[in-house]
Amino acid sequence: MKNLKIYFICLLIFNFSFLISQDRIPSMNLKTIDGKTINTKSLSNKNGLTVYSFWATWCVPCINELDDIDKEIDKWKEAKVNIVAVSTDDSRTKRRVRPMINGKNWDFAIYLDENQDLKRALNISGIPHTIVVRGTKIIYRRIGYKPGDERNLYEFILSQNKKFDEKI
Amino acid sequence: MKGTYMNLFYPKTKSLMKKFKNYLFFSILFLFHFANYSQFLENMNASFESYSAYYLDDKKTGDFKLENRFRSNNYLNLKSIFAKNWNFELQIESYMPKPLLNYSPNFENTNISTLKFEYNIKDLNIVFGSIYEQFGSGTSLRTWEDKSLGINNSLLGLNVNYKLTDEINLTSLIGQQKKGFKYSKGFVFGVDSEIDISQLIDSNSTFLFGLSYVGRNDQEIKSESFDNLTNLYSARIDYSGNAFYTNLEITQKSNNPILVFGTPSDTFIKKGSAYLLNTGFFNKGLGLDFTFRRLENMTLYSEIAAAGNEFNESIVNYLPALTKQHDYSLTNLYVYAAQPDVNFYVEDLTKAGEIGFQTDLYYSFKKESFFGGKYGTSIAANFSLWNNLGGKYDFLNQSYKTDFLSFGEKYFSELSFEIRKKWSESFENIFLYVNQYYDKRMIEFESGQVKSNIFVVDNTFKINDKKSFRLELQHLSTKNDNKNWYAYGIEYNISSSFSIYYNNLYNYQNPDKDKKINYYNFGGSYTKGMNRLALNYGRQRGGLVCTGGICRYVPESTGITFSIITSIF
Repeated sequence: MKNLKIYFICLLIFNFSFLISQDRIPSMNLKTIDGKTINTKSLSNKNGLTVYSFWATWCVPCINELDDIDKEIDKWKEAKVNIVAVSTDDSRTKRRVRPMINGKNWDFAIYLDENQDLKRALNISGIPHTIVVRGTKIIYRRIGYKPGDERNLYEFILSQNKKFDEKI
Repeated sequence: MKGTYMNLFYPKTKSLMKKFKNYLFFSILFLFHFANYSQFLENMNASFESYSAYYLDDKKTGDFKLENRFRSNNYLNLKSIFAKNWNFELQIESYMPKPLLNYSPNFENTNISTLKFEYNIKDLNIVFGSIYEQFGSGTSLRTWEDKSLGINNSLLGLNVNYKLTDEINLTSLIGQQKKGFKYSKGFVFGVDSEIDISQLIDSNSTFLFGLSYVGRNDQEIKSESFDNLTNLYSARIDYSGNAFYTNLEITQKSNNPILVFGTPSDTFIKKGSAYLLNTGFFNKGLGLDFTFRRLENMTLYSEIAAAGNEFNESIVNYLPALTKQHDYSLTNLYVYAAQPDVNFYVEDLTKAGEIGFQTDLYYSFKKESFFGGKYGTSIAANFSLWNNLGGKYDFLNQSYKTDFLSFGEKYFSELSFEIRKKWSESFENIFLYVNQYYDKRMIEFESGQVKSNIFVVDNTFKINDKKSFRLELQHLSTKNDNKNWYAYGIEYNISSSFSIYYNNLYNYQNPDKDKKINYYNFGGSYTKGMNRLALNYGRQRGGLVCTGGICRYVPESTGITFSIITSIF
């Protein structure tokens, strides 16, 4: 039975490896800061791109990334980008999310993925993790954050916007 | 905590679930061949993670005495939408030839760890297979996965979520709990409801009300003196206004036997409870939060005899420590783990739970103000205090009676203060001060109480948008336990993809000369999009190592570790 299983698993993988798939943001529920449920479908940005940034209150590089984006938030808004900061804090630290974002006064949307369902669905193994989405289609992913990465991401977004405008 | 390891219990499960698993497996094959083949593959998404280590002998940390110096944990995950409204997920894990140190021996060879079919239509969501779910804050139920901690306590069964109206959401589930590659014999089942009252009364503020029930029926143990069914009832209310929020959650647990020397006692049978109150105020640039919690005999295991096991297996509910979670190595030497359980192992150190609170403050100085400067300054402060439940403890007769709001002996307290300051385009600082009290005697049943002061300075120099350099300096001073430590770390980001680092922890005042060990680590990583390769050589400090509120004992080791994270297609 076991060998049969492994054989079939290998067969499955072998078959799949010839194909290229389209990666999309799955339709899943997140919570707003007030505890209300919201679906990822309703976060899609009709005017441009959406940047999902997965973070947590205890993750130093995550806070650095969001702080660095917030410092130049007007620039990002001009590029018609929707920033969605998804907190993966579970019930150990989620009570720190609200005071922290108020203290920080970040000018973008914050949602909670408390049981890390969206994080799991997107196979995110560690944070920070950044995803850029057009409609629901994922066009860019990055693991980790180093100073300057936000600038490179911004440049990428500008180039994508340009490409998109040219197509139209 | 440590004294309870003897309670490890691994039943040889060849239950109904195994048949069920096989059935599910062959259903996938069936679908693979006959379902909408092209759509299934077009929407396929796969990722692979691998963490390997080669353990070495080391004069300082000792020889590697276990079998298999090379150990490896591997995870292959496949997800797909295979028909309209149908999702599918399969995760195969391989621990070959053995899992990394400190992973449960229940992870053996290669097997399926997650397998689920999900049907999604309008307001209805049905999961058949592996269930990941949380009720309320998780006090009554949380099934989740964290590979780095070796945790996957999902239930294999059926989960139905139905949005009755815009205001009312219902969830129900039943299943057997995963434990390594095995499954518990008993069943866990529950229902959860959440009502959005604010929509009913058309209020600008948010009012949520929730009720849940979780039952655990352990069929492994038969006894006349206790019921195999343990029930958890929970109620919660949440209010959020314009500048104020508060929420309260109360959970009651029915009678459950306490383990005495690894066996469920016929006479020491107790109820449990959890009270959680959280409230806060906020304003532009300011956030203030306060949390109170009282836990008594509260952990629920899917198998009674698994209570207190070393690998945190078979836990149904989630009761994390409510303290500040730190990101620096010396602040994680004496980490508090929640004490939700009854423990009568040592006379004079009897405990029945924990009571305490924590409070947080966040504030940002405005840019261009005196403290704010050109780039702004932000501060964060936290205070937490956790004690045993006050009451009467009778060690000889194995009984206790707690008083509701009485604080017993102190387990832990911490005061921390953090300043983040960006000085210029290219230079940024984080200053952190932590004052800790950690009672090793009460928490770990080892001698000593530790009072310590920790200072951290984190410096980031940005050379350009691709290159940066980080220097981290830490010092811990204490007159107790193993005395003072220092630590430092340097990290150089050579390009947007390459990064190298070196860090070292040193217990320079340890009274035992042989224990003055440099716990150094150096390595590098390459990251490109969803792909990451990392290589590390160094020493792992032994002892209680905690991540994300979960603590486990880790032996000292030296070795080379290698990890791959990749999205295959």
